[in-house]
Amino acid sequence: MIVDLHPTEDQRMIEESVRAFLADRLPVERLREPAHQGGAAEAAAWAELTALGLFGLGLDEARGGLGLGLAEEALVARALGLHLVSPSVVAQMIAPHLAPDDALRAALVAGETRAAFANRIGEAGGHLIDGAGASHAVLLAGGVALIGIDALGSPEPVDAIDETVRIARMLAAFPAAPRDAASDRALLLLAAYLTGIAQATRDMAVAYAITREQFGQPIGAFQAIKHMAADMATRAAAAEAQCFHAAVTFGRGLDDGIEAAAAALLAETAALANAGANIQIHGGMGFTAECDAHLYLKRAHLLASLAGGRRLHQRRLLGTAS
Amino acid sequence: MKIIESPELDAFRDECRAWLADNVPREKRPPEGPAMRDFDLAWQKRQYEGGWAGVSWPKDYGGRGLSVLEQLVWHEEYARAGAPPSGSMFVALSHAGPTLIVSGSKAQKARHLPTILRGEENWCQGFSEPGAGSDLAALKTRAVIDGDHLVVNGTKIWTSYGHLATWQELLVRTDPDLPRHKGISWVICDMRTPGIDIRPIKAMSGLTHFCQVFYDDVRIPLANVVGEVNGGWRVAMTTLGFERGTGTIAHQIELSNTVDRLIAAARDLPAADGRGRVIDDGAVVADLATLRAEVLALRSLTAASVSRGMREEVPGAEGNIVALWFGELSRRVHAAALDLLGPRGLERGGDHDWPLHYLEAYKWAIGGGTSEIRRNAIGERVLGLPKGPSAR
Ligand SMILES: Cc1cc2nc3c(=O)[nH]c(=O)nc-3n(C[C@H](O)[C@H](O)[C@H](O)COP(=O)(O)OP(=O)(O)OC[C@H]3O[C@@H](n4cnc5c(N)ncnc54)[C@H](O)[C@@H]3O)c2cc1C
Repeated sequence: MIVDLHPTEDQRMIEESVRAFLADRLPVERLREPAHQGGAAEAAAWAELTALGLFGLGLDEARGGLGLGLAEEALVARALGLHLVSPSVVAQMIAPHLAPDDALRAALVAGETRAAFANRIGEAGGHLIDGAGASHAVLLAGGVALIGIDALGSPEPVDAIDETVRIARMLAAFPAAPRDAASDRALLLLAAYLTGIAQATRDMAVAYAITREQFGQPIGAFQAIKHMAADMATRAAAAEAQCFHAAVTFGRGLDDGIEAAAAALLAETAALANAGANIQIHGGMGFTAECDAHLYLKRAHLLASLAGGRRLHQRRLLGTAS
Repeated sequence: MKIIESPELDAFRDECRAWLADNVPREKRPPEGPAMRDFDLAWQKRQYEGGWAGVSWPKDYGGRGLSVLEQLVWHEEYARAGAPPSGSMFVALSHAGPTLIVSGSKAQKARHLPTILRGEENWCQGFSEPGAGSDLAALKTRAVIDGDHLVVNGTKIWTSYGHLATWQELLVRTDPDLPRHKGISWVICDMRTPGIDIRPIKAMSGLTHFCQVFYDDVRIPLANVVGEVNGGWRVAMTTLGFERGTGTIAHQIELSNTVDRLIAAARDLPAADGRGRVIDDGAVVADLATLRAEVLALRSLTAASVSRGMREEVPGAEGNIVALWFGELSRRVHAAALDLLGPRGLERGGDHDWPLHYLEAYKWAIGGGTSEIRRNAIGERVLGLPKGPSAR
């Protein structure tokens, strides 16, 4: 088995069309407006997102999907991360894979029935993320499961680190789900989203370092900045290579759980470190709420937490996780 | 992104595996000196006789003329079989040979490629000088044209296996009046030529693998210039790029084995305080798991680099990313070993000389371009940041 990580012509086309759409309809600046937060902008573009084929991408044609693979889904998830698209769009990509019957699956693929992420907090309840309009939750609780939101009790809005998503606290006892191939697929999409954040912050930092001048030259000419940017690029490249390697080889005889855990660990590290470095490279501007740099940092923390967190990935990597 | 597979590739892989299983030398490779060189040459000869030398090199010069896919399969199986490092054959196989294939004349290829593949002659690289390391273009070793010869005076340093090699890829300044990068030539130097004096240098690990070479009126035929006179910089940059190709697969698999070995040791060894095992410490789990993930990423980055390599004639600046990752990671893996194993990890010798591997690991972030120079190159040539005084 030789793993070719160069995108095929078809993959390039899918990625480009999704990116072009997102750049046009869901640019990151939208999040400066509260009215567009919490998945509102995504809801307004829902018909087009559905028409792009996002929600059945990796599903067999026999089951109503486009019959592509996890690699294509990961490419899309990374593009979603680049634009800080609501996590619910990722949840909607995962949900059809988990649907117990044809009718629900078809409704999810068609975008008529909507899903959002929920994650478990210890024994007592959990968070529902950007749940407006959703009837189903993609529950991240050890493994992954699709359940009706009704089963989770009544949601209480809470403020959390990322004010651009709407988070509700649910108090019902969340069922635990087993870790399996489906949960590793979901984990890889979350990791791919995080690599999108690592990439976007790298590019934002580089663009600023080329234009911002101090001491009569672009700050990117200073090695302290240049080397920070090189490390950002290296971390992003490593996370991305691991994510896509894991996605392409999924189900092909490698240890998918270990590969996915490695991808998640590296993606979390790259997203958080790059988001932090991007703030540093922007100086005082980076510390403000007026510069978009903080949006990536906050979303990176949210996604890292949804993915289970580094301690869990580390224990899985050594086979010491329960 | 896709899996490339075919019955032909599978058959080829089986063939590699079977041959390697029967032919990988069982005896221990001598650690240094002429005995090591002779071992490396003999192993190369055996591969040649088995039909495994130069899998992707042109048929006309003794190679098999197969595609990069077969080359890749061969490298993977080679590493998996635990076959010896190319060692003192490395420059010949991974720098000089590929450079001659791209930039050499017909006569140069005919003279040198077959003797490399047959394991008759090995090469060393004479680029760095005492005053020209990262800033390679500052090199001063002078070559003056005298009839149909070049006369060389100066010195090269850190020449790996220079004391054990037959040939050298030598960078000399043929025109000191031209701009720095323009007056350099890439020359094939016979290490047996009169006027060459060699001083081996011992490394901090205790091994003597490199040396300083002095040139005193060394006469080299003009016919040995590869490419144009004064056109050596471009030829050299091609050579440096090849360092970052499939040759690293063996190192990557070795590093992955080292991490596995460490994890096994942490499971076995009692904790320092005598309670439980080393692995019961959460901080140890975090360290080892992170290293395992990073080693997996090294494999994935290598795959990405090879995937790019299948589509470009000459490796691009992205190769610095995998080289930087590898250089920094090797040090961390070996430092973790000394940390985990405690006092017993400091003992030299034994069936795995941890201090030797630890000390040797420092070289990967220095030789062939330091981590800082690689960061410059990533910043400037991959990301497009403004140019500073350097980046190879
Ligand atoms: C094991 C080993 C094998 C080698 N084998 C060979 C060989 O076979 N043939 C050969 O020709 N050479 C060989 N080398 C030499 C190697 O290529 C050089 O050591 C390397 O390029 C660095 O040059 P230098 O040693 O002169 O260090 P310097 O260039 O003096 O660097 C010293 C320090 O300054 C930093 N530095 C320098 N310039 C910059 C800059 N612009 N920005 C930021 N930091 C900078 C470096 O990163 C480093 O930390 C080998 C080296 C080693 C360690």
